[in-house]
Amino acid sequence: MSNNLKEQEELQKQLRKDALRKNWKLFSQSKLGMIGLYIVAFFLFLALLQPFLFITGIWNPAIYDPVVGYDQIKAELLVIECPKEYPTEKYESYSDCPGPGEVNIKKLYMAPDLKVGEYYDTFIQPAPPSKTHLLGTDSLGRDVFSQIMEGSQVAFVLGLLSATLGVGISTILGTIAAFFGGRVDAYLMRQSDLILMLPSLPLLFIISAFAELKVWHLAVVLGVLGGLGGSVITIKSQALQVKVKPYVDSARITGGSKWQILFQHILPNVAPLALLFMVFSVTGAIASESVLSFLGLLNIDMSWGIMIYLSQTDGFIFSGLDFWWLILPAGLAVTFLAGGFYLVGRGLDEVFNPRLRKR
Amino acid sequence: MGKEVLVVDKLNMHYETLDGPVAAVKDVSFVLNEGESFGLVGESGCGKTSVAMSLLQLQADNAKISSGSIKLEGKELVGMTENELRTVRWDGISIVFQGAMNAWNPVAKIGEQIREAIREHRPDNTKQENTQKIEELFNIVGLDNSIMDRYPHELSGGMKQRAIIALALSCDPKVVIADEPTTALDVVIQDQILKELKKVQNLLGLSLIYISHDIAVIAEMTDNMAVMYAGSVVEMGPTANIFNKPKHAYTRLLLESTPSVVGKRKKLRSLDGEPPSLINENKGCSFSPRCPEPSKECKNQELDMKLVEISKGHWADLCCVSCG
Amino acid sequence: MAEYIIRRTLQMIVVFFIFLVSSYLLFNAIPGNAFQNLLLNPDLPPDAYEKVLKTYGLDKPIMERVQLYVVNFFKGDFGYSYKYYPKTPIELIAERLPRTLMLFAIVNIVAFYTGFLVGKVLAWRRGSKSETWITVTSVFSYTVFYPWFALMMLWFFGYKMGWFPIGKFLYPEKWYDAPWDSDVIFVLMIKFTVIISVIQFMAYLLTRGIESLTQRRNIRFGSLIAIFIGSYLFWNTGDALTKKPYAADIAYHMILPVVVVTIVAFAGTALLTRTTMVEVIKEDYILTARAKGLSQKRIRDRHAARTALLPVVTSFIFTIVTIIDGSVLTETIFSWPGMGQLLLQSVLEEDIPVAMATFSFVGIFALIAHLVADISYSYLDPRIRIKSQG
Repeated sequence: MSNNLKEQEELQKQLRKDALRKNWKLFSQSKLGMIGLYIVAFFLFLALLQPFLFITGIWNPAIYDPVVGYDQIKAELLVIECPKEYPTEKYESYSDCPGPGEVNIKKLYMAPDLKVGEYYDTFIQPAPPSKTHLLGTDSLGRDVFSQIMEGSQVAFVLGLLSATLGVGISTILGTIAAFFGGRVDAYLMRQSDLILMLPSLPLLFIISAFAELKVWHLAVVLGVLGGLGGSVITIKSQALQVKVKPYVDSARITGGSKWQILFQHILPNVAPLALLFMVFSVTGAIASESVLSFLGLLNIDMSWGIMIYLSQTDGFIFSGLDFWWLILPAGLAVTFLAGGFYLVGRGLDEVFNPRLRKR
Repeated sequence: MGKEVLVVDKLNMHYETLDGPVAAVKDVSFVLNEGESFGLVGESGCGKTSVAMSLLQLQADNAKISSGSIKLEGKELVGMTENELRTVRWDGISIVFQGAMNAWNPVAKIGEQIREAIREHRPDNTKQENTQKIEELFNIVGLDNSIMDRYPHELSGGMKQRAIIALALSCDPKVVIADEPTTALDVVIQDQILKELKKVQNLLGLSLIYISHDIAVIAEMTDNMAVMYAGSVVEMGPTANIFNKPKHAYTRLLLESTPSVVGKRKKLRSLDGEPPSLINENKGCSFSPRCPEPSKECKNQELDMKLVEISKGHWADLCCVSCG
Repeated sequence: MAEYIIRRTLQMIVVFFIFLVSSYLLFNAIPGNAFQNLLLNPDLPPDAYEKVLKTYGLDKPIMERVQLYVVNFFKGDFGYSYKYYPKTPIELIAERLPRTLMLFAIVNIVAFYTGFLVGKVLAWRRGSKSETWITVTSVFSYTVFYPWFALMMLWFFGYKMGWFPIGKFLYPEKWYDAPWDSDVIFVLMIKFTVIISVIQFMAYLLTRGIESLTQRRNIRFGSLIAIFIGSYLFWNTGDALTKKPYAADIAYHMILPVVVVTIVAFAGTALLTRTTMVEVIKEDYILTARAKGLSQKRIRDRHAARTALLPVVTSFIFTIVTIIDGSVLTETIFSWPGMGQLLLQSVLEEDIPVAMATFSFVGIFALIAHLVADISYSYLDPRIRIKSQG
């Protein structure tokens, strides 16, 4: 008997392995899904690389710390005097003077002894990308590349935590609403109506007024709000479809208890959709965090949103692409990671939804 | 016997799947004469529907017709462009789909969906003419005119199936394919629909291709028939001949597995085993693993599958002819 | 049906009541003195503070205050703005709402229309190279970090190129001696847009019965031209002619925000349409349509897209629900003085009567839209019959 059981277990293991392999094969067929997976893997690598660099001592925390690090980038500027009338041979309009590597003598209040033609030593902040700082430094002399890495840690922690929490809540509530129906259903549906009614951004402002929101606080808040809101309705409609499947009936006829049916038959069949939802809500959580940071309402030290917020408040965003390393990396990182998760979700959709398959 | 309307010659079609190509139709040839009805019979997955879909070239994106020819009144259909095919579809060949299939668009009225087909092929018709045509068709298949303004979900299965016959006849096609038209219906309605089809066929002199897994229905409905197994035709000929003198072991088994109400009581035989996977190109007779008494050559896969003429117009597979 | 609507309405009232009470408690729980704004207002008459305090029972315990607020709310009395003292929240909303509606109605209609078109084409060309590229672009514009993207666009088109104004909804200098308030112009523009859409929709409905497809198309095209001529005549005669330069000024300011938000918003619809369409294409009735020899375009538009429209319409209605919520960020970036800014400022500055009024406005808006979504769904999909169950 026990031998038989063991065999059965083995068989189940094998089946599960086969299913996994088949799903992987299907997923890897989706080109965009694979691109998404590569993007996510790339950012995960960045997130893990930073602590590794600090621990092994390749990076000195005093210089490379994303929040308190500081590096002086020395530069020699040629002292010149800007002409009074434009255009001249060298400069077309007043905005071209001083050119790159030059400084206007009128601006040098601090060093009155310098004359035109001499060199002036200065610390440039923000400094453009160089070998020591791959993506340059920001206006406080902090390494931008290190900030991007820190930002991707924040994004992963926040995105995954809030998505897991949110989808956990909505899966349980959605299945319960579908399974029990009646009053429970009506209550849960009106509750999600209530959450959907609240304007999300102002609500988050109010919540941030109560307490200093740390990353994981925000993850919990976003997760709970997301979990109680619209996704309950979607999960419920899926669970309703599962509920009327013959295998649920047969489980009921063979005497399965309510909870057993709920947890052994309905939940596992709603799970693929829930997983899909989770991947998509990571996208939403990353965007929400960035928006809140961007508006300066979060009390976290560093994130992509804060990087954009700083570059905006310091006025670099309207300087065009002269300070591109302050503007582009953070914005693109948010966009690409969110896009990466979205593409992974789409790839998974093709695996779980047989109707979407090409063959 | 009228003239030949549809000639299918050595048609090959395969599906490209993750596990490799699946040959669904292998060297299928048959001829359909005007006013005649032709039956295709075989178990599920034997390629009946694939043949039907290939005739209209409606097969899924991953299906490819690799060789062969389909001639409708002398016009070659294989290799036609999509736009040329569009004029052939419904006007030349139409299909009566299964009732269980969601052949009707759920969000459009029945009348509108029939009207749409007529409008496509008879663009100069006025609204009145089209309405009149639909009323005529409904009259033929025994439906009330009010059905025109109903949505598909408001109709019963039998009504839907009648409406589908009306739809298939809407452009006066030369050939009508009936793809398991009664499969999802209960026995009483099945009988009604079959009678309706038979009546319509006689009335309009249709050339009909009837596809079914039910050999009894084929016997009732068709003049000539072909038995398909694993993508190939294993026996073909006049229906009466095949029923009286089945040559192929598979045909015999099919006949013996169907109960008969009249005549001697006999023991029903069941067919053991599963149809073979079509993925691997198997040599020799694909039926031999399930054949109750295969010959030695047959078992050793030494004979290639090939139809041979036994009596006039009656063809059967070489392998089983030699062994049975 | 009637029973269903009554039942839902009753539930809605209960939900709204809970919503009202909980948001009041939420605002009151914010630490700090919420009435600072009232005191700081220089226009404040000396006795006003006392008066407001008394009428709204602000010195009473919290439960009594909630009671008082809810009673006053259902009487239609929302109090006064702490910040703009003599103005009531209703006046503020009435002033701001047309601006937001004008901007976002256009954005949403354009975004949903283009999104639906693009999604349709995407699903239809599944597996082709162009599909991959359009999808990548759509995903990019769907997940792009919106404030960042908007600022970059502002920088490029507003600052670098100088094609469009940076922020604000009008040039104040132009309006010094304007005989009208900007709201009058806004209302006129909204009326104009609504009438045009209604005419176009009617033309569409009336031509549905025509049997010949070419004739149908020609008449629809003709109606479009007629609308163009009609609107040209409208803006060049009488009253509208004098208002034209001001309307043009507002329209000019609207271009950049409309384009930017549309780029971001259309992608969501496109991707949603694609997903549902890809499923619908596998349905049997698409096979029937193909067998009937219909043209690819007709199968796509009349059969596949028609059914795929359902979830898209629902999402459209849900987007309308979140117009005000979603306008917060846009209006902040483009300094567009609409509902979103009002909402954000009132919350940040703890102007509680205004914040409460805007919150409840958003809430009522959302509840009604949900109901409309459910009802319209049953009309779009004849299979769905609303059961009397919630």
